[in-house]
Amino acid sequence: MNPSQGLAIVTEDLGKRYHIGRHSQRYRTLRDTISNVVRHPIHRIKGLSQAGSSSLETIWALSGVSFAVPQGAVYGIIGANGSGKSTLLRILAQITEPTAGRAEIRGRVGCVLGVGTGFHPELTGRENVFLSGIILGMTRREIRSKLDEIVAFAGVDQFLDTPVKHYSSGMTVRLGFAVAAHLEPDVLLIDEVLAVGDAAFQRQCLERMHRIAASGRTVLFVSHNLSVIRSLTQHTLWLDQGKTRMVGKTSAVCEAYESQGKEA
Amino acid sequence: MRGSDRRNGVPTTTVIARRSPWQALHLGELWTYRELLYLLAWRDIKVRYKQAVLGVLWALIQPFVKMVVFSVVFGRLAGIDSGGAPYAIFVYAGLLPWGLFADSLARSGHSLVAGASLVRKAHIPRVIMPAAAVMSAVFDFAISLGLLLGLIVYFGLPWRVDFLLILPLTLLTILVALGVGFFVSALNAAYRDVQYVIPFLTQIWMFLTPVIYPITAIPERFRWLILINPMSGIIGAYRAVILGGTIPWDQLGISVGIGAALLVLGLAFFRSMDRYFADIV
Repeated sequence: MNPSQGLAIVTEDLGKRYHIGRHSQRYRTLRDTISNVVRHPIHRIKGLSQAGSSSLETIWALSGVSFAVPQGAVYGIIGANGSGKSTLLRILAQITEPTAGRAEIRGRVGCVLGVGTGFHPELTGRENVFLSGIILGMTRREIRSKLDEIVAFAGVDQFLDTPVKHYSSGMTVRLGFAVAAHLEPDVLLIDEVLAVGDAAFQRQCLERMHRIAASGRTVLFVSHNLSVIRSLTQHTLWLDQGKTRMVGKTSAVCEAYESQGKEA
Repeated sequence: MRGSDRRNGVPTTTVIARRSPWQALHLGELWTYRELLYLLAWRDIKVRYKQAVLGVLWALIQPFVKMVVFSVVFGRLAGIDSGGAPYAIFVYAGLLPWGLFADSLARSGHSLVAGASLVRKAHIPRVIMPAAAVMSAVFDFAISLGLLLGLIVYFGLPWRVDFLLILPLTLLTILVALGVGFFVSALNAAYRDVQYVIPFLTQIWMFLTPVIYPITAIPERFRWLILINPMSGIIGAYRAVILGGTIPWDQLGISVGIGAALLVLGLAFFRSMDRYFADIV
């Protein structure tokens, strides 16, 4: 099954289930597992073989989400905290796998789920640019050719060979964003990265986002900031408790989202 | 799938869905992502020695001190038979590959947990992470190899072409370390107990491996117990190469077989856990 002509992202009934309750801790200790096996041997063995037995409390962080993004579109995703926005992005970025449904993405995918992915405080700015760039999917040659641009964008030229631990937090974040902003995939997934830096830098980021949007790339963009969503995207998906609440023209979705906020 | 979307040119379609836990073993990803593998290993090495005054010298000091202490305790006091060779070089020939193996385990065991932010935020094949940890241990090994050359000169051992066999033996050690490293890194992501077990496991494992004693010190009927451990044959061969004995090819053969099995199983286990890493790390 190929995505229909002109679509960059198609999802069908995407869902992701997590276990909560006694197993809400992010990792288990061996002792827990052993004591569980001793207490409920049969349950436990079943639980291991079919992830998600009914004996554990589960929550669908995302369920039944279907939408399609045309090639070249800038698409917004909004929703309250815990509505499943980041889970959706992590599934599309292939970082975690869906429990149900499927998705197809056409073209090279780049994802920015945080600023300064892979940065290490002991390494210099230059070293971190290379590390982060490679992690985000660039080649070394690509990074070398864009290094000047990245450094100028972040405004850290005279500190390029200083370890990042001596940077101010603003500088670190700017450099992190600058690397991500110079990614050139066909489909770009971005999570909340504009919420960093001072007002001037945010403006600079926004300009960059407009340029990326104008370059014909497909962008899927998660944000809490409705004015940013309005200025960048044409269509928006509103997630509410893991489900699609509304999908359509950005202006209409944002309006509905705001009026719901007033009622609550 | 992961490798294909990085290639430039024709747009590829990525299909995202729940996968079978037993996927194909893409050891090839290590090659596709070699730049990342190299950079992560380099980052580990760089960060490790960055604010240490003695820096990389630590990679020499540690095995040197171990050799001296072991020579005094096991060579002099306990009088372990080193078959005529100076005990110092006898034990160092064992400590060298063992150090690579133990270091690899310690580093790869931590790799996923230490790199949790990468696991949760970046789209990279995670096998790269324990593999990069093993590569960074190889760097220390290469430096401690320098000390071996010093010992050869000091004790006036003859230079022989056989020394070149150290290279394939080291490669074999790396493969065994990768296999076990895949196991412990995946296990540690799910069960943090593993990080407490590793140091103590490697210590016990060392005493069950002919590092400080020759294999001949073990009674014939128990020897198989020692030899199912792939590091035994490797260390026996190292020692034969350095001290000029006959290489125990049969024992080395067992190491190759068991090492290969460990590598395949370790990778398969890692793969089967891979889908959960972002949720449990």
